[in-house]
Amino acid sequence: MKIVRWAALVAAGALLAACAPPSAAPQKDAGVDEKTGALRVWLFQEPNQPPKEKVVKEAVDEFTAAHKGVTVEITYIPTNNTRHEKFKGAFSDPASAPDVAEYGNTDVADYVAAGGFADLTKDVTGGDISKDLLGSATIDGKLYGLPWYVGLRALYYRTDVFTELNIAPPTSYAELAAAATRIRAAKPELYGIAVGGEYTFGALPFVWDAGGDVAAKKDGKYTGAISSPESRAGVKAYTDLFATCPAQACAGLTGGKTAELFATGKAGMAILGNFNKGAVEAGAAKGKYAVVPLPGAKPGSVAPAFAGGNNLGVLKGTKKRSLAVEFTKLLGGQKYQTKMYEAMGNLPTSSAALADVAGKDAFLKPFLATASAGTRFVPLDPAWVKVDSQKVIPTMLQKIVTGQASVDKATEEANTAINGAFGR
Amino acid sequence: MRSRPLANTAAILVALVTVFPIYWMLLSAFKPAGEITSTAVRPWTWHPSLDSFTRVLSQENFGRYFVNSLIVAVSVVVLSGVVAFLAAVALTRFRFRGRTTVLVMFLIAQMVPVEALTIPLFFLIRDLGGTVPGVGLNTLGALVITHLAFSLPFAIWMMRGFVAAVPEAVEEAALVDGASRFTVLWRITFPLAAPGLAATSVFSFITAWNDFIFARTFIISAKDNQTLPAALQMFVKPDENDWGGIMAASTLLTIPVLIFFVLVQRRLVSGLGGAVKD
Amino acid sequence: MTTAVRVGSRRGRFLPLLYLLPTAVVLVPLFGYPLYQLGLISVFDYRQPQVSGGQPAEFVGADNYTTLLSDPQFWNVLSTTVWFAAACVLATLAVGAALAVLLTRVGRIPRLCLSLAAMAAWAAPAMTGSTVWLFLFDTDLGLVNQTLGIGGHNWLYDRYSAFALVGATVVWHSFPFVMVSLYAGIKAVPDSVLEASRIDGATVWQQFWKVVVPILRPIITIVVIQSVIWDFKIFTQIYVMTGGGIAGQNLVLNVYAYQKAFGSSEYGLGSAIGVVMTLILLVVTLFYVRAIRRQGEEL
Repeated sequence: MKIVRWAALVAAGALLAACAPPSAAPQKDAGVDEKTGALRVWLFQEPNQPPKEKVVKEAVDEFTAAHKGVTVEITYIPTNNTRHEKFKGAFSDPASAPDVAEYGNTDVADYVAAGGFADLTKDVTGGDISKDLLGSATIDGKLYGLPWYVGLRALYYRTDVFTELNIAPPTSYAELAAAATRIRAAKPELYGIAVGGEYTFGALPFVWDAGGDVAAKKDGKYTGAISSPESRAGVKAYTDLFATCPAQACAGLTGGKTAELFATGKAGMAILGNFNKGAVEAGAAKGKYAVVPLPGAKPGSVAPAFAGGNNLGVLKGTKKRSLAVEFTKLLGGQKYQTKMYEAMGNLPTSSAALADVAGKDAFLKPFLATASAGTRFVPLDPAWVKVDSQKVIPTMLQKIVTGQASVDKATEEANTAINGAFGR
Repeated sequence: MRSRPLANTAAILVALVTVFPIYWMLLSAFKPAGEITSTAVRPWTWHPSLDSFTRVLSQENFGRYFVNSLIVAVSVVVLSGVVAFLAAVALTRFRFRGRTTVLVMFLIAQMVPVEALTIPLFFLIRDLGGTVPGVGLNTLGALVITHLAFSLPFAIWMMRGFVAAVPEAVEEAALVDGASRFTVLWRITFPLAAPGLAATSVFSFITAWNDFIFARTFIISAKDNQTLPAALQMFVKPDENDWGGIMAASTLLTIPVLIFFVLVQRRLVSGLGGAVKD
Repeated sequence: MTTAVRVGSRRGRFLPLLYLLPTAVVLVPLFGYPLYQLGLISVFDYRQPQVSGGQPAEFVGADNYTTLLSDPQFWNVLSTTVWFAAACVLATLAVGAALAVLLTRVGRIPRLCLSLAAMAAWAAPAMTGSTVWLFLFDTDLGLVNQTLGIGGHNWLYDRYSAFALVGATVVWHSFPFVMVSLYAGIKAVPDSVLEASRIDGATVWQQFWKVVVPILRPIITIVVIQSVIWDFKIFTQIYVMTGGGIAGQNLVLNVYAYQKAFGSSEYGLGSAIGVVMTLILLVVTLFYVRAIRRQGEEL
């Protein structure tokens, strides 16, 4: 068919001419700052949504009462991978974009590199949010979101098993490992501690506690640090625990699966978040567990926890910047953080709100102790998304626990992969 | 054909094994929360609970999403049926230069990984929305045309076999009787190829109904135009899977397809039963 | 097929083009253009900042391709994908064909049962099917392990047992298509043809291979080509059930593409993988098409 050949020729010619692939117009300050109209807000969907909706509605009512001629449109978007498509779509098509959005703090570097969020450094000042947490939303000295709430992990353990075997809650890594071994030996049907080869945020506290990290920033550039002696010690500490949770069963586990194991009563201990409480309460472990901070190597110390959480940010292309910032500060403020805790169990980021809820709920004590011992974060660089989606850390852990590679070799390989990701 | 007891037993056994995962999905959807993650697994439950379904159905706008999905899937089925039928006639009843090239192009279209095309499609749909109303970002029209494009190559390949199976003697007889070519096409060939249409429509329906890749790429802000699978994605979370919710959502997703299957299957069988044979 | 030429060629050359016009209207912009873009993007450094317009896209020539082809993991994954897809295609065809034949020899009720069961499997979204199968074979909570009394056995730990489990799920999802298509084809074989061969003294077995299979060849061609394409591009089942497997042991090309490229918005590299995958599939298919032609069949 002539037409086909002709079209092929044209296409080939166009390719040779190397026109650039499609691209959106970069998001800019809209140049206007409307004070009325509809403010569009994206928040994450929750499995148990009504309590969140109720609190948000209160905030919206308060906001619209104070601002004449303003309405607030809330859209709930999914938390899983589809969220990326939504955000990327919004960055490329300002007509579809919200003014304010909730986003996961591990996504911040990627979204900022895509030019999606506005600099809020001048707007969010004088708050009582800890430096660690503000740091997780700060890139190159600029703040791109208001930390709204966090989730922290600590050590869940089975009180009945500990009493029966006469073990005290561990206060150091050595005690933790000994307790796990003891449980496994006395009760072979239980895993000493539920650990997982795909559980990055269960492993990193050990690395951080040993003084290591995934990557280190030098002269504004990240390089891999997972093969440093400190990191290796931490990786070894974590992978040694697989002696009480055999690789056959545990090498493929994610954090969620370890929670499932603990909840069903298959494990003596597990490193779980405050957000896993519901799952544990719904299982066989209900009423038979307690929580302490995850101990570090030094007796009495706490291993640094990963400060995962969600921020509220203002989109760069918004036409209602002032309103967006005000709404962010209202919903992200102390009052609504407290309400969000009461409704959803999300840990507040505001110190005042935290102190407020801590007095009301004993369950929170170990998590607050963990928070005050200092929290850590993943590298604030778009390359982290690459490290994460290429499963660099899980592959490293799995190679070690399945005996495919030594700690030295696996960390070396992981380090190469990390450098590759940051290199571009 | 004669039925044999052995063959009958084998068929029933295979049917049971095949349907078991579906049964398990239903069962898990009805199990109360504690029982799903219990180490004493039982293939039944004494305490069926509607909790999981309530959680899924209480989602804002559930009915709306359902209708949206239905609109998209049905539009795609109807359009792709007609368009693919015409193309299949062209490819089976005519010899022309480039015929094989066209066929291979339809295959190539199916070989490209979908993820690789979403970015170009995103910009295409965005720009299209500026000129053609109703098919831009955030519209159901965008979903209809992309699913149409993605189901057509396969539908054409599929239809070809069925159109080829329609005996041309019948068509020729009608032509000789003085019927117009158009009449022959719609009154004779189309009904005779209906079983094929049923088979391909099943396919287009499933692709359009189950998709969430395009839905999440094109439907960004218009929550009224969200489709069901994209909305049900929320139950699949990286860290804490809500098994009951996932299973209940899957059940609700699967049932309409099954109904469609059952409706179409009768046509498929009756169509095959008599018409095609000499 | 030969008579087709007569009917068609009677009316000018433009009729087939007219019939193909609606298809062209849909496919040229919605497929042709993105396909062209795919090729274009594959020679650019094109990531999220470039998509959103934060940075200009930079022409990098064959860089994405060299990155891909010089990655030893890619070659590993490619060979895995080829044999896994081949195994899935063969298993799907064998199961589907056997059951199609079975369907023709059973009573109404068993046939209805099997058809409905198969359709249920077909109707289930890939994600659902994978999740349910995973759940059934779960190490501790799964029905299978508890029934067999092997609680604690992890089916996904061993590379081949993991592939077998995923393969079973793939076959479960895809045999209904093969079964229904072939069954419809067998039913469409005119009774008169079968009777003639019966009078000639052919056994059931001979009848099947000598009479039914040749008539079904067009359908078989479609089923084979489609199965090859789908199974080579397999994603959901592997991703949901194994996530790529322990230390990446169960990676196939599409999951590799996701982990390496699309998951972190490396669209340039991702498009290069897409182009390479398409070319591989094209070569395989063209070989098959040529083999068919050599047997005297038309595409």
